[in-house]
Amino acid sequence: MVSTINIVFYGIFVSALSFLIIYFITPAFIKFLNKKGKVVKDYHKPGMPNVPRPAGPVLLIGIVISEILLYFLILDVKIISVLLTTIIAFIIGYIDDLKTMPGWFKPTTLILAAVPIVILGSHGNYLGLIFDNAFIPILYIPLILSLIPIVGNTINSIDVFNGVATGFVIITMIPLLVSVIVFGNNNVLLMALPLLFGSIALYQYHKFPSKIFLGDSGTLLLGSMYASLLIAGNSEIIGVIALLPAVMNSFLFLSSVKKIVEHREIKTRPVTICSDFRLKASKDNSAPATLVRLILAKGPLTEREIITRIFILATFSSILAFISIAIQYLFMMGKISL
Amino acid sequence: MRLFGLFMVIFIMWIMIMIVSYFLVFIIGPLHISLFNNTTDRLISSIVKATLAIGLVVVLILLLGNLKTKYLQKTLQRN
Repeated sequence: MVSTINIVFYGIFVSALSFLIIYFITPAFIKFLNKKGKVVKDYHKPGMPNVPRPAGPVLLIGIVISEILLYFLILDVKIISVLLTTIIAFIIGYIDDLKTMPGWFKPTTLILAAVPIVILGSHGNYLGLIFDNAFIPILYIPLILSLIPIVGNTINSIDVFNGVATGFVIITMIPLLVSVIVFGNNNVLLMALPLLFGSIALYQYHKFPSKIFLGDSGTLLLGSMYASLLIAGNSEIIGVIALLPAVMNSFLFLSSVKKIVEHREIKTRPVTICSDFRLKASKDNSAPATLVRLILAKGPLTEREIITRIFILATFSSILAFISIAIQYLFMMGKISL
Repeated sequence: MRLFGLFMVIFIMWIMIMIVSYFLVFIIGPLHISLFNNTTDRLISSIVKATLAIGLVVVLILLLGNLKTKYLQKTLQRN
């Protein structure tokens, strides 16, 4: 058991380490990617500038170093399982960054990323269901095997504009951290800090106008680590509530195209670009439904305005997650009962 | 309020999650089936509970699909 003073000290240490590594390595990595010609066009801006991609390796370096040092400080095997899940998800995303893979590739291979959590037993046997915990030792395994691919792809699918994925993860990490403090344990809180502060550091380069894009390696890393922290921190339902706008985006997309496909495989785009580079919703009925298309349904917006609205929705769902935490806490303490 | 409709959809999704959680904890959780009055009953109860829980989640997904279709019709086609 880590003492309170050590939690504060270790927390500051791993947060600062992750933030500083990513903040200071990223500019050099941007230069490296530019030099190697690893760039893609930013289609939503005048002149369609080239933006280097992917930022996943920088994020991985910062998080891996911080988590390994944390492991030597608190010796919790959960760190290894979360780290392995994160690394496997990164590799899957990196393969997709290097070579365009079919739509089924990411969701199916991400099941592999969930295996370390199951094998190393980082999950509990109880699922927190707001009003009480449910003892589901067998059902928990398929839940883990499906949660990692779902959250990984959910964060991947929301990364459609500058800074959205990192900003979204930063906002939705706050209720997750509070939930982990209340229902999980302090070790998981310490494990989550490198992800939050790494995302804050990377956001400085990923925000509008982006100097670097995350790529699939970055988004799958963010989503899979987020999901593994939900599982290790007994906060699955709270996390899903915080992620509702992104979950809704994936759900809208999947239920309108009726199959698992890459966004680039879609023939009819959900949004189109106006001559003034504002974006407007497609009028084509065959275009997939997405969160952005719904945001644009009442008229065109600039990229920056859309990003702000996605963050407002993330804040709203995070508030609902906070309310859920309060309800769960009151039930847990026996302050209210039905 | 451009985002009002989306706020409402997210809010309804949250309410649905809360209702499903309520059913799982207070209705399906306490279920106990007594058929043979031995340990087999526990296994049967668990299987029935798991089936009902999965069924409830499927119903939630279908309801969300329904909500999505109605919201899309209202928003995209009207605009």
